[in-house]
Parts: sequence; structure tokens; C-alpha cells
Amino acid sequence: MGEVHTGLLQNSGEVPESTCHELLNLLSGERVRVSRRPIVHAVSPDLLTGVDCRLPSASRSRIRGAGTVLSRSSITGGRVVQGSSHTRIERAGSDRRQPWSHYLARPGVVEVLGKVKARDLADGFAEEPPPDGLDLGAISARFMDVVQTSSLLDRRTPFKIARTKLRWVAEPGEPAITFTLRSDQMRTIRLVHQGEFTPGVVDLCEDLALHDWLLTSLLVIIERARIGGTSATETAVKLAPAVDHLLHLWMPMARVDDALIPFWESLDRRPGFTRQWQSMVDRVRDQLAVRTLAFLRETGGGKAQ
Amino acid sequence: MLIFAISDKGGTGRSVTSTNIVYRHALQGNDVCYLDFDFGSPTAGAIFSVGSVARGTTRTGLHDYLLSEGSPEPHRVDVWTESDREGLRTKPPGAGRLVLLPGNEGGGELPAVDEEMLRRCVQLFSRLDEEFDLVMIDLSAGRSFTAELVLQATVRLPTVPFRWLVFHRWTRQHIIAADGLVRGGDGLLDVGARFGHDRDTLRDRIRFVRTAVLEPDAAELVGLRDEQRAWLSACDSELRELAGRHKVGRTVMLGKIPLDPILQWREQLISDEDVLASKIANAETAAAFDDLAKKIVDDNAWEGL
Ligand SMILES: Nc1ncnc2c1ncn2[C@@H]1O[C@H](COP(=O)(O)OP(=O)(O)OP(=O)(O)O)[C@@H](O)[C@H]1O
Ligand SMILES: [Mg+2]
Repeated sequence: MGEVHTGLLQNSGEVPESTCHELLNLLSGERVRVSRRPIVHAVSPDLLTGVDCRLPSASRSRIRGAGTVLSRSSITGGRVVQGSSHTRIERAGSDRRQPWSHYLARPGVVEVLGKVKARDLADGFAEEPPPDGLDLGAISARFMDVVQTSSLLDRRTPFKIARTKLRWVAEPGEPAITFTLRSDQMRTIRLVHQGEFTPGVVDLCEDLALHDWLLTSLLVIIERARIGGTSATETAVKLAPAVDHLLHLWMPMARVDDALIPFWESLDRRPGFTRQWQSMVDRVRDQLAVRTLAFLRETGGGKAQ
Repeated sequence: MLIFAISDKGGTGRSVTSTNIVYRHALQGNDVCYLDFDFGSPTAGAIFSVGSVARGTTRTGLHDYLLSEGSPEPHRVDVWTESDREGLRTKPPGAGRLVLLPGNEGGGELPAVDEEMLRRCVQLFSRLDEEFDLVMIDLSAGRSFTAELVLQATVRLPTVPFRWLVFHRWTRQHIIAADGLVRGGDGLLDVGARFGHDRDTLRDRIRFVRTAVLEPDAAELVGLRDEQRAWLSACDSELRELAGRHKVGRTVMLGKIPLDPILQWREQLISDEDVLASKIANAETAAAFDDLAKKIVDDNAWEGL
């Protein structure tokens, strides 16, 4: 299970690849990975956080686990930041708490001390963790903070926008995916995959989180622009940052493992991410085109035709 | 942008004025949030007419958030949906978000400032600044650890813009006290400089707001005898002279709010409906809040002196 937080990089413009490198260099010695096609995507090395806490449980049983969480930060298109954490929950070999060296040897695994039902655990994942519970979101948020508060950024963003949180759980079985909007900022994904868990599942969830954030943010910007409710100029001014900073970032499935693409495709059929995105993009473009025509007419530039 | 609201004396009108400014700023189309950092008496919920948090929250309030490591994100109240006042419960078209982060019921003043608390405060401000156009922080009256905390936090967030509003009433005692709070021993400038602010830059980020002002030519005074009016007029010019000497004169005043009978009776937001429909509030009061809500982000009003 994991949680991905996504937000706007706190800078006036897109940052170049070299700055992404510096921003993500959380651990000296380890390399930031960069892929350039179809969009520049830079990822920090994975870092470990030790946890010894209560695990989610739909029946509110007190289940304790100890182990490590894997986290990383990434920047897409020099514009969008993500903080992502996940861990695999496994049955411990013994019910006794082991020394840290034992857990450190199994990065990204939390061992359950005592009895647990996988179903109960997965059913409870969407709930807010209790104070002593496993809080992957808090870890992801801190990984984002490290980037967002860097002195390399000027913080003069073209618009203010909330982070979104995507909490996910994956289990083996008959393939299925459920995407749920829990609140303005909270989403959950429940994914059933064939065979063993692979890191590709994390990439998939990060990619879905990124595109959900783009959709959410564009919706907010369109709402703020009050199309038809205010002057065309004011609307255009409010829409412009979306064109400058967001529209080119839509690149679904760019880094998704071939075997997992059907999950993306099924969400693209329903609720239909790309369809919604496209209709909003058209709306923004139409508004700006109308504004440009009006402008030409006002300045007499349209007469030439 | 972070705005800190402070006053030397209690009962000045700091909370009523700062909540109304935030409300007006939201109506002007900005996303705003209000942080109740007056931990000794967290009453902002009452002013926003959110009964469930009228004396602070019983969930994670800001006080708990700062004091306990590992506590979840602070409780957020969406005023447009949770206010008990019918007129506030729908977001007017074009308005931005209006979010209250309450203190804790039975919280109490901060006992001291420690590193962990400071870290959490920096994290809170930085995350909210990412999301909101304006973040208003209502501090307790006078010198406090809370004021010290936010002075330290802003040193650590050099790229996050911030401003201070010092509220005072239009009386001898209040004028002298407001000056003392800023320039006196252990005042804002002293403490700010001690923690690493540049004294002159910090001074340029402070403006004064006069609350509950009765102008000598106000409609309320029409029934007064000539002798009384002459006396008031003389007092007023004496106060203006005093304010000038104490460096809280016109040039550093961001605005003044007239005395309004409805605010004398009840701490509340003044809506346009209160002015136009039920006519219980004065139009001048609403206009003064509206004006302040604009000036607060108008760089011309904040030019260095
Ligand atoms: N413009 C105004 N006209 C008339 N009364 C006002 C005005 N502004 C504030 N008041 C009243 O003054 C009193 C104190 O206001 P408020 O609670 O906002 O002060 P405060 O400075 O936040 O006090 P505290 O230090 O106790 O938090 C309240 O009863 C309020 O309604
Ligand atoms: Mg108050």
C-alpha cells in the first residue's frame, strides 16, 4: 500500500533538468534518475523510513507492524512535484519484534507481528490513520516539503493550488481497479493485480496521481475563471496560466509498465480521464480564441480579412 | 502571503477585523484561510458562526498540531459549507475558498518555543502558502511565545512573503501601546532582529489598523451639543499628533474601521446582506473592510518608508 501526494512546484516558471537534479539530490552518493521522453521526469533515489506502528484495519483490530517504508520525490515537466511512499505488508516469521538490522535488510517491507487478515487490512487502508497508526501520507508530504521549501525555488507560482493525495492498496487476484474521489483533495485506488507485486504498481499509481492532479487543478482554474460570469478579459487572464503551465503536461501512461496499461485504460474508459481532460482543454482554448477574436475586432485587426 | 494580526491590548477588535478582512478577500475572488493562533481563547469559530468550533475544536486544532509530534494535519473548517449562518452557507459566485483552522478547545498559551514546534510551524505555513492566496494568522494580544514562534518561522521561510497588522483603538493608551509593541523593549522589532530578521525590512512589513473609530463628523454624533463636538474634535487632533509622534500616524496606517453598533453587540462577519437587506450594519463599515482586504495585497500601500 502507498500514498502519493502531488502539487505544483513552488516556482514562477518551469525549472530546468539540472535544477531538478539538485532539488532531488536528497541522498548524496545516489543518483537522481531522469527520463526525457515523452516528458522530462526526474526521480530521487528511494529513501527508507523506519516504522513501528499500528496498521490499518477495517475491524479496528490492534495490529502492530514493524519495518521500513520506501519513499521518493519526483518532478515532472519541471513543474509538478510528487512525494510517494509505499510498503509491502508481510507476515513476520516470528511474533517477536526483531532488531532494526533485520528490518533494514528488507527495505520496503513491514512485518506484521501477530495474526492478520489481508482482507481486513486492505479494507481499512482508506481510513485516516489513528495517531499511532502507519501514516504514509505524512511521510510523502515531508518528501514533498523538502523540494517545495528549497532555496533553489522562488515560490512565485503563477497560481495557488492545493496538493492532492492518492492513497492506494494493491493485492493479488483477479485484475480490477477502483478509483474513488473521497473529498476535494483525497482519492483512493484499490487495485487487484495478477501475480506478485512489482514496483511497476507504484509507477502506475504515481502516474494516475499526476494526471488526477492535472485534471483537478484545471477544473479549479476553469471554475475560478467564471466563464460567462465575468468579462472575457478577466476570464482569459485567469485561464492563461493553465495554458502556460499545465496543458502540455498530459502524457498518460508515459512510464507505465506494459503489463499494467490495461488498468489505466480501464479508468480512461470510466470515469474517462482523458475524455474529461480533452473537453476542458477545448473549453479553455475556445475561450482564449473568442477573446483573441474580440481583441482583433476591437483593434480593427480583423478587417483585413 | 502570510498576514499576522496582533495588538498590544486584548479586546481591541483584532479578531473581528481580521476575520472580516479575510471574508472580504474571499469575496474578492481569492482563496483564503484563517489560522486561530490565539491559543488562550480560540474564538474565531464563533465569529465565522461555526457553532461546532465556537470555542475551538475538539479534534486536532492548531495548538495540538504544534505541540504534539506525530499529530495529524490540523482540522479544517470550510466556512462556506459549515457556517450556521444561512447567508454564509453558500459560496457566492466568483468567491474563493474560505477555510478556518481553529485552535483547540481548552488549549492554553504556548509554554515556550522549541525546535520541534518551530519545525511544525514552518511546515504548516509553507504548505498553506502553497495552497492559499492569503493566510491570516490571528495571534494573542501582546508579547507572547506565539509571536516569537512566528517571527522565528518566517526567518526560515525567506521566500514566503509576509506582513504584519497591528490593531489598536483610537485612544491615548492604545496608540502608545501599539508603538511599544512594535518598537519597545522585547517588541516585534527587537525579537525579530534577535532571531535574524533585518530590522528595517521587518519594520517596512508592519502597518497599523485603527479599530472602532468614531470620527468627529460621524452620523452617530449628530445629536451632540456643540461643546461636546468641539471637545471631540480637539481630542481627535491631539490623538493624531500623538500618533505621529509615536510613529503610528497616517503614513504607516493601512486603514481604519469605523465604530459599528452591530459589532459592539456581537462579534460577527458583516455581509452585504447586513448592510443592504436587513440594514443592521453600516455601509461604511463593510466598505472599510473591503478596502482593507484590497490594500493588504496592494504593494503600493506597503512601499518602504
Ligand atoms: N469596528 C467595531 N465597532 C464596534 N465594536 C467593535 C468593532 N470591532 C470590534 N468590536 C468589538 O470589540 C470587542 C473586541 O473585539 P475582538 O474580540 O475582535 O477583539 P480582540 O482584539 O480579538 O480581543 P482578544 O484579545 O480578547 O482576542 C468585541 O465585542 C467586538 O465586537
Ligand atoms: Mg480575539
